[in-house]
Parts: sequence; C-alpha cells; structure tokens
Amino acid sequence: MTVEATRAEPIPVAEWVTIPDLYADPYPIYRRLRAVAPIHWVPAVNRYLVIGYDACHTIELDQERFSADETGSLMKRSMGHSMLRKDDPEHDAERRSYGGVLRPKAIKQHWQAVFERNATTYLGRLRAAGPGADLVAEFAAPYAAENLRAVLGFHGATQEDMQRWSQTLIDGTGNYADDPEVWAAAERSSREVDEAIDEMLPHLRANPDASLLSQLSGMPMPLEALRANLKMTIGGGLNEPRDAVATTAWALLSHPEQLASVLAGGRWAEAFEESIRWVAPISMYPRQATRDTELAGMAVPAGARMGVVVGAANRDPVVFTDPESYDIDRPRKPHLAFGGGSHFCAGAWIARASVVGGALPRLFAELPGLRLDPARPAVVGGWVFRGVLGLPVLWD
Amino acid sequence: MPKVIYHHEDGATETVAADAGSNVMRAAVQNGVAGIVGECGGQAMCATCHVYVREAHLDSLPEIGEDEEEMLDCTAAPRDERRSRLGCQLTLGGDLEEVEVDVPATQI
Repeated sequence: MTVEATRAEPIPVAEWVTIPDLYADPYPIYRRLRAVAPIHWVPAVNRYLVIGYDACHTIELDQERFSADETGSLMKRSMGHSMLRKDDPEHDAERRSYGGVLRPKAIKQHWQAVFERNATTYLGRLRAAGPGADLVAEFAAPYAAENLRAVLGFHGATQEDMQRWSQTLIDGTGNYADDPEVWAAAERSSREVDEAIDEMLPHLRANPDASLLSQLSGMPMPLEALRANLKMTIGGGLNEPRDAVATTAWALLSHPEQLASVLAGGRWAEAFEESIRWVAPISMYPRQATRDTELAGMAVPAGARMGVVVGAANRDPVVFTDPESYDIDRPRKPHLAFGGGSHFCAGAWIARASVVGGALPRLFAELPGLRLDPARPAVVGGWVFRGVLGLPVLWD
Repeated sequence: MPKVIYHHEDGATETVAADAGSNVMRAAVQNGVAGIVGECGGQAMCATCHVYVREAHLDSLPEIGEDEEEMLDCTAAPRDERRSRLGCQLTLGGDLEEVEVDVPATQI
C-alpha cells in the first residue's frame, strides 16, 4: 500500500511532555495531545507518539509501511533480536515455532491445572503475610512468575529468578538514559537465561514435556534466535499477567458496585478485558516508518521512529464512551491491549486463563472482605509498561 | 474476482469483491465490513473473525485445521457445529469463488 504524503499535514511538536510526567500519569497528557492531533513528535522520548485508535490500528496492520525491525532498538541490545522486532516472513517462521504451547488446547490439557495449583500456593503466601500485605509482591508477581516458569520450561530456575530476569531485561529495553548499571544488570540476566536454556535443552530433548523450551528443543532454529525469543517471552509473559491481576483487583476494589456485579454474575472475563483496556500493561511499543507516508492525514517521514501508544488508543473517545472510567458495562469494542495484526500477543490465551481462570475468582473467594487499605493507597506508575506497583490490602 | 456476501443481524447485506488468495476476514477488514474484527491478522489465534457460512457453500469449504478447530471453541457467539468457521481460514478463489456468510452478533 503506497500513500501519497504530499497533501498530508505536518506533525506537531509537543516539547512540553516529560518522561517523569508520563511515568506518573500519562492520561492527562494523552488527553491534551489528542485535542491537537493523533500524532506528535515528542522530543523527550525521541519518538513520534501515535495516540489515536485508528492510527495505532492502521500501523498494527501494515508492516510494509511500519516495520517492527527498528533501527537502534534498545530491546535488541537487551534481549537479542527476537521475533517482536522482526517483520514477516521471518517473524512468522519464528512465531510458528511456538506451535500450540500457548494455545487453548494446551491450556486445557496442561496449564490450567498448573495455574490452579500456583494460585493456591501464592494465595497461601498472601494470607500468611497477613492483612496489610502487598497484593502485588505477595501474590500477583510470584504467581505470574511461577506460571511463566512452568510454561517456558525453566525447571532449574525459581520464580524469583524469573522476576529478576524479566525486570532487568525490560529495564534494559527501556534504558533511554543509557545507564551503565542498567545495562550491566540486563547483561547479567541475559547470561543467566542463556545458561538456563543451555542446561534445559538437552534435558528436555531426552525428557520432552508440554513446555515451550521442550517444543523449541526439537526445532532447527538458530540458538541466537531461540535465546532472544525466550528473553522476549520472559519480559512479556510476566509483567502483563502480574499487572492485569493487580489492576483488575485495584479497579474492582475501587468500584464496589461493579465488584458486586462481578461476584454475582461470575463476570471475571469482562472485569479483566475492561481492566487491560483501561490500563494497558504494555502501553507503548515501537515501529519505524519504511518510507515517506501518510497516517491519519499527517506526513510521516521515512525512518521515523514511532511509538504506538495503545494505552492512549484504548481511551480514544471516538471509539470508547467515557473512556477514562473503569466500566464493565460499557458497550464492548475491541481494545488494543494485546496488540493486533501479525504481532497479536501470542500469550493472550495464557493471560486470560491465568488471570480469569486462575487468579481473580480465587483471590476474592478466599480472602473474604478483601478491601483496599485506606491508610496506604495503591501506587501506580509507568507509561511504556504501566501497572499497579504496590497494592496494600486488608481482609477479614 | 471472488465475491463475499456478508449478512448482518439486522438484515443488511454487504457484498465485497476481493482478490483470489485473500480471505473472508481480510476482505471484510479491508472494506470496513462491521462485525468482523480479525485481531490477530489471520493466524487463527483470536477467534474474532468468526462467521456462519450459509448452507449452499458448505461443500466448497476447506477442511477445518487443528488451530481453527480449537479457536472455534473460543468464539464469543455460540459455535454452530456445521456452519461456524474462522473467516481468516477461508481463502477465496478456486473452489470458493463466491461465499455467503452470516456475521455473528458479537466477536468479543
């Protein structure tokens, strides 16, 4: 698809946007930007931020004009060159190597039982920590990490290893300040993951199981690509279910009438989907324009580094009525929290199964009177990745 | 040029001509046919291009693959054992020069 760029409008510059403001609360910034245009050059982040729903969706569906293979990618430096930074057909070949491991059939056969078991374990840990405990640190994070460890097949590692690897590799991916300590931590984790993969591959070849590493151990894939894809999956597969559990719990505890409706009707799936629309765990991801082109009536130059801000698109009032509110009863429209097109989240069904099927109903069933701690409010942060960082809770 | 006729719940009908090699999902998305989402771009991964194929065309359809089979159990609208398919798996052209489908009430 070639689009004439000659009649397109110039993209405005938003020099007033700062990274600390984005981190603290990006939504008022997106509202102010949206009133002007769906795309802005934001010098503080050195990107064109695309905040309109239609524009974000157009990018997702058009990898010829908007490539995932970004020049100077921090993610490539931190995690290696994974499929997330490749276009088809290379992306497609690597994605197919994941086979059925993350799909509904495997979830039914293997993973749902694992998620149930892990929910029991980490609800026990939260309960043992006692009222006032942090739901993120005591439940959501270790639960998501242990699920991921099982699905990936890192049988020699711990959930704490998974949390450390995920956080430090992601910190590298977002290391725009080029902090050497952040790079050092990411490199350390990268080596540890490589060692864990090297340890597991021969074992899983001899003792195959349902895990992703087991599936990959029989594939003729270059080790470099396998390693990069696993690191990407560690990054993407932990934060997102963790944040979805915590954000949904926070949203429901802050909206008692909606919580009552969810409890009465088993509406956990609706609570989850609305939660990731409201606060998309992965709120921004990069693309690069392959040519001079037009997007949303605006001129995008060849080579432009773009940020697809699905966290903003998911609150576009053109698509969602009263978009800033958490409302499980809103008319259902497709949100972009799982991305779209060929990079649609490969872990979407795992996320749904572990959060909706495993964590949320059990959390509210087993901790009667679960409520926010009025003395210590939830801490929320981030804009590239956004989520509840701390959620002190009480129960009876 | 192959043709897809989309029947909506309210009785409205849209006819789309598409290139051979395209599919029922892509033809809809590229032409703004409401009710077909196609979140995953055609990987049989999201179940948001679910359609009910009209009886007259059932014999012209390709077999249901393994990925499509499991995804048809995840559709938002009820699965019809005979007529439910993923639009992304219905490649146009060859045996499928023309197909009529009913668009489900919801995809999400």
